[in-house]
Amino acid sequence: MSDIYERLATGILEGEAEKITKLVNRGLKKGLSAKELLDNGLIVGMDEVGVRFKRGDMFVPEVLMSADSMAAGMTILRPILIESGAEMLGKIVMGTVKGDLHDIGKNLVSMMCEGAGFEIVNLGFNVDPETFIEAIKEHQPAIVGMSAMLTTTMRAMGHTIKALEEAGLRDQVKVMVGGAPVDKEFSDAIGSDGYGSNAPSGAELAKQLVSAA
Amino acid sequence: MRGNYKVNSGTRFRMLSDDQLEELLGGVLHLLEYTGLEVHHEESLEILKKAGAWVDGKRVRIPSYLVRKSLELAPRSFTIFSRDGNSENDIIIGPGRAHFGPGPTCPNFIDIESMDRRPYVKSDVPNVAKMVDALPNIDFCESLGTVDDVHHDLGALYEFAGMFPNTSKPIVAWSYDKDDSAGIHEIAIAEAGGQDAFEKRPNYVHYCEPLSPLISTGEALDKLIFAATNRIPLIFTPCPIAGGTAPVTAAGIITQGAAESWMGLVIAQAIQPGLPFFMGGVFSVMDMSAMILSYGAPELSLMMAGLTDLAHYVGLPLWQTGGCTDSKTFDEQAIIEGSLSVFFSALSGGDMTHDVGYTESAMTGSVFQLCAMDEAIGYSRRITHGIEVTEETLAVKVIDNVGPNGHYLREQHTRDHYKTEYWYPNLCNRRNYEEWEEDGKKTMKDRTVARVHEILATHKPTPIKPETEEVIKKVLAEAEERVKED
Repeated sequence: MSDIYERLATGILEGEAEKITKLVNRGLKKGLSAKELLDNGLIVGMDEVGVRFKRGDMFVPEVLMSADSMAAGMTILRPILIESGAEMLGKIVMGTVKGDLHDIGKNLVSMMCEGAGFEIVNLGFNVDPETFIEAIKEHQPAIVGMSAMLTTTMRAMGHTIKALEEAGLRDQVKVMVGGAPVDKEFSDAIGSDGYGSNAPSGAELAKQLVSAA
Repeated sequence: MRGNYKVNSGTRFRMLSDDQLEELLGGVLHLLEYTGLEVHHEESLEILKKAGAWVDGKRVRIPSYLVRKSLELAPRSFTIFSRDGNSENDIIIGPGRAHFGPGPTCPNFIDIESMDRRPYVKSDVPNVAKMVDALPNIDFCESLGTVDDVHHDLGALYEFAGMFPNTSKPIVAWSYDKDDSAGIHEIAIAEAGGQDAFEKRPNYVHYCEPLSPLISTGEALDKLIFAATNRIPLIFTPCPIAGGTAPVTAAGIITQGAAESWMGLVIAQAIQPGLPFFMGGVFSVMDMSAMILSYGAPELSLMMAGLTDLAHYVGLPLWQTGGCTDSKTFDEQAIIEGSLSVFFSALSGGDMTHDVGYTESAMTGSVFQLCAMDEAIGYSRRITHGIEVTEETLAVKVIDNVGPNGHYLREQHTRDHYKTEYWYPNLCNRRNYEEWEEDGKKTMKDRTVARVHEILATHKPTPIKPETEEVIKKVLAEAEERVKED
């Protein structure tokens, strides 16, 4: 049995989505639980990806392949996990704030978070505070992630947080922010719960935010 | 397929035009034929006379046909082999290929632990060789110093004995005299499997120096004859100082210095036709205020680039100079001077660039400078590697596929090429402020020191053959006996 966990972890490290799909199905058939496959296989692989990326031994295109493989595994496991009532990492509502048309960085963070085991609700770009509020009400996420690429639009993140407070939703969710001009100081100033400097650290942050909750 | 499609596959420059190079060549031939050089060596005078030179006492004039014949005999392309058969460490000399390594004979060394300047000692040799062996952009080995704590006649021999087991990259060996050279050669051929095997796959290069202006000394020619007779690839490299021992102008120093190298070329080719031969030097200016030969001056790079052009124009490889500095310590000056001369050497395509790791105008060797320059060489090589233009690299289909507002991080095209299209630094830091802060706000110097210490603690060079170890012991014991007798 340890062999399949090891192969899952290796499959994640090497970014082999098809192999992960096969292995997960085989594991389930053999009677292993979804939670075991996730905890002892997929997450072990993803954790190692994080370590290697931080050390400079893995690069973003490889990390994305690993994230894709993780997502492939989760597609099969998530419904089973939900059904069994297992505790999930939860949802993240993600969007680039109002006035900002930059989409790619936020999508990368979304992929990485998906790879870390979250379910992503991607609102796209130029998202006004009202849309964020409606999405929170509808999806009940653990986290709201906001992105801005421009110094002129980053202030909209503060405005959105304010709107969440006014709608009485701020206490229900953690807020994380990111984007080229954003730093920790700004993140603290607008009352966000955390800031990630790049896509993998965004996913890392998301995990910390839910485990702290 | 396209016909007659012109490709610039790398970035190189040539500084001088054909017309200018023809002028320089004319100047060198004029000096050799009409002014002549002094040759302080009886056997060489005989060899030169027999070859067709005009000998008048010690003054030797060489008719231009003989110089041209010697140039014709020397190869432009050849290979220096690693001692352990690892072809990645072979040095393939030929057009468009620039190689890098340290220089010899600095009296001082930057201590690896204290980073203080002190005399160079025997135990420094293996460390320099290990650094050379481990650094990806350093191609050949010299010791960065003259060993101070052995009998002073045996420094060169102890150097070679210390370097050879600690790197499989080819060594450029200097020596005091032909006895040293013979000892060095005995060690090298033991590893190669005998003289015949060595001649087929030479595993080191012999270095000797004429004296500027226009003198070939007895010791230099003793060594040259030893190398030529044993078919050891040879460097004959003057160190003229513009304004001191050579004309103050770049064209003037190149003309004189080339004549000094080519005297050696004519003798070497007369003894051993086809012997691989590097002309070369350290060509730089005497600083008229500090009275030093500057290793950090822009004129060094300029003169060396002009000399490289002349060497390649006549079909010889060049012993280049770069990666060195006048700075006394590991500071901004050292990095600016070293990096710019490295980049210039890479652009000019000088075949073997030495003195990487020299500080204090060649008075002090530093593996820290060497390690930082490995980074500068990697950086330079990425640029000289150039831009490849093919259907695959144009990526029109990929762009079409991604379209507006997509991204390329998931594309197979990106995965296929991002490792070879980019150069990744070992020392330069590109992390964001927070990560840099978290990591202790380390400077380039901190990272360089850490890398040197890590390499020296962990790197394991391929060992030499047990029988070669025995030969090294024997050669050193015999040399110690020899100096006892004196």
